Amino acid sequence: MTNASSRELPVCTCPLVDSEAGQEATVVAIACTDRDACRLRAMGVYEGATVSVVGKKHCLLVDVRGTRLALGADLAGGITVQPRGSVAG
Amino acid sequence: MTAPAGPARLEADAPLRVAIIGNPNTGKTTLFNALTGLRQRVGNFAGVTVERVEGAFRLPDGRRCLLVDLPGSYSLTANAPDERIALEVLLGQDHSAPRPDVVLVVVDAVHLDRNLFLASQVCELGLPVVIALNQVDAAAAAGITFDIPALTHDLGVQVIPTVASRGEGIDPLGRALARAATLPPPPSRFALEDTAEVAVARYAWIGEVVARAMTRRAPAADTTSDRIDRVVLHRVAGPLLFLGIMAVVFQAVFSWAAPLQDGIEALVLAVGHAIGGLLPAGDLRSLVVDGVFAGVGAVLVFLPQIAMLFAFIGVLEQSGYMARAAFLMDGVMRRVGLHGKSFIPMLSGYACAVPGIMATRTIEDPKDRLATILVVPLMSCSARLPVYTLLIAAFVPAVPLLPGLDLQGATMLAMYLLGTVMALAMAALFRATLLRGPVRPMLLELPPYRWPAPRSIAVTVWQRCVVFLRRAGTVILALSVVLWALATFPRTSEDARLPEAARQEAQLAHSALGRFGHAIEPAVAPLGYDWKIGVSIVASFAAREVFVSTMGTIYGVGDAGESALVDELRSERRADGAPAYTPLIAVGLMVFYVFALMCVSTIAVTVREAGRGRLGWQWAGVQFTYMLALAYGGAWLVVTVGRALGYA
Repeated sequence: MTNASSRELPVCTCPLVDSEAGQEATVVAIACTDRDACRLRAMGVYEGATVSVVGKKHCLLVDVRGTRLALGADLAGGITVQPRGSVAG
Repeated sequence: MTAPAGPARLEADAPLRVAIIGNPNTGKTTLFNALTGLRQRVGNFAGVTVERVEGAFRLPDGRRCLLVDLPGSYSLTANAPDERIALEVLLGQDHSAPRPDVVLVVVDAVHLDRNLFLASQVCELGLPVVIALNQVDAAAAAGITFDIPALTHDLGVQVIPTVASRGEGIDPLGRALARAATLPPPPSRFALEDTAEVAVARYAWIGEVVARAMTRRAPAADTTSDRIDRVVLHRVAGPLLFLGIMAVVFQAVFSWAAPLQDGIEALVLAVGHAIGGLLPAGDLRSLVVDGVFAGVGAVLVFLPQIAMLFAFIGVLEQSGYMARAAFLMDGVMRRVGLHGKSFIPMLSGYACAVPGIMATRTIEDPKDRLATILVVPLMSCSARLPVYTLLIAAFVPAVPLLPGLDLQGATMLAMYLLGTVMALAMAALFRATLLRGPVRPMLLELPPYRWPAPRSIAVTVWQRCVVFLRRAGTVILALSVVLWALATFPRTSEDARLPEAARQEAQLAHSALGRFGHAIEPAVAPLGYDWKIGVSIVASFAAREVFVSTMGTIYGVGDAGESALVDELRSERRADGAPAYTPLIAVGLMVFYVFALMCVSTIAVTVREAGRGRLGWQWAGVQFTYMLALAYGGAWLVVTVGRALGYA
């Protein structure tokens, strides 16, 4: 993932799917059905939570404070994160 | 326990009602089993298919405690059916039980912050709460330590450290439950609703609590579970390992259980004959031996398979592998609209549909679960094996095809494949029609690997066996007796000069079942069958293996063995002199048995598992009808296409 496409933004965000494996990121937005958003929050993926991708298979393997979650690509695509240390300027 | 003495004592003896709730993978069920042992009762929550397990035990002060196990939940507001039930019970809106006096929340000490999300929601309900801080041993191993008084102070509820798998902390937990009933409920901090704002605020508060009460070493970047997962979830090694494990499970349920099943069958038969010997010859003896004891045998014979399967499922679940299996299979199962977890029940179906359907309990989504229940009986179970074996031995020549595989083996394999492919196809069809709905996106926790707790697994296996005996047993027994009556009445005038086998044949032809066979002959004629096959099919409704013994009875070989029956089938002629059986008809008959739901036990279990009362019967009806249509259509197609191609 390059940061070039979002130079104008004060922070750089990207879908969780595109975040690099091993890099910590902060969840900034969750766009999916209310029911799925509710499940995600209950499992620790909420706006402001720190997550990191630990593996990419047919689903995304995500570390959420020590818990391993398998997230389908459809769900992970709706989660926007801000990778740590990516604040521009 | 001492007898109650006086009104005050009686008052204290009113049982304390406790509901136990927790995230999945927190050891909730292990704790439940540790507290209650075998004193459990399994039922359903009112009106839904979600299972309700209740148990009773004595608190340290001697008071009785009724514990109800609520479905594993991540949240009270997530609106999934099982989670809605948890909320209804806790709010006292569930009609099947009064509101609990105390809620016991089981939290995983290793993942305290995430677990406190549910715990803090439970604290909003105005009920006294006790928190079991479970798996503190695993937390200690991970370098996590707790300030229990600080945690108790911040949460406003008693927090008891436990290790459920070793039974540690059970007594203090009991004392805390008794005490909690006398304490005020914890203060309400947030609205019990699901918005991003509330969730974020809740997590912020949890973050503060955890920061004060918990210290942890910097977590290892690469845990043991991660290292195991690199193999278990590996693109190549993962599926191979999965196949290996499934092969062991399949083998165990398929063949390790067989000697036990034979033993049970022989024992029941022997007891039946012994008791029958005490009765005068006649209908009563026949009812006891051929009806009741044959029926009891047909029920008990499933127990080894059920116990074996649930022991394996218990080990796979507790160890954490089940979540990985669901993860690995998700890609395949998703294509037919099922969840990765549907795989285990379908695989169990190869051994027997009864435990397979019972194993669908691990699937949370009701539509996924129903679709799986509907297709599990299409997997060729071990009871079809005798039918395949008999027909293949009689009509399929052992022409070598490949090294180690002849036409007989290939035919057998084809029957298994046919059932499997059709099961997947029908699952896709059901998910697109009757059970339409979005396939839930993959969202699965992969819990850390753990050693299973044998005691807890034993309790669960016991519980499953009791559930099976109580629920299916009664129905199977009743239907076995009905089938016995249909095959026995009305009686022929016995001709003592005839040999026993011939008498049996005449009796069967004369009975209601035999008449039914004649009546349905026009219906089975397009498939190339005569009334005798018709009767065997109808009689095999009690259990498919009965097909072989009924054929034995009809063709008068009695118990002379399978090779005698094979000869008899080959030489059987119709009235016009044409052979009654041809290889084509035999293949058609096998296809019929691949698809047909010729099994009372499966129907009984579907009725119980697909919902209570009418709903269950409806789904069992759907299942029976579509499978019969497939069977008839399939057999007709084989015979018709075969004849068009010039085969006899």
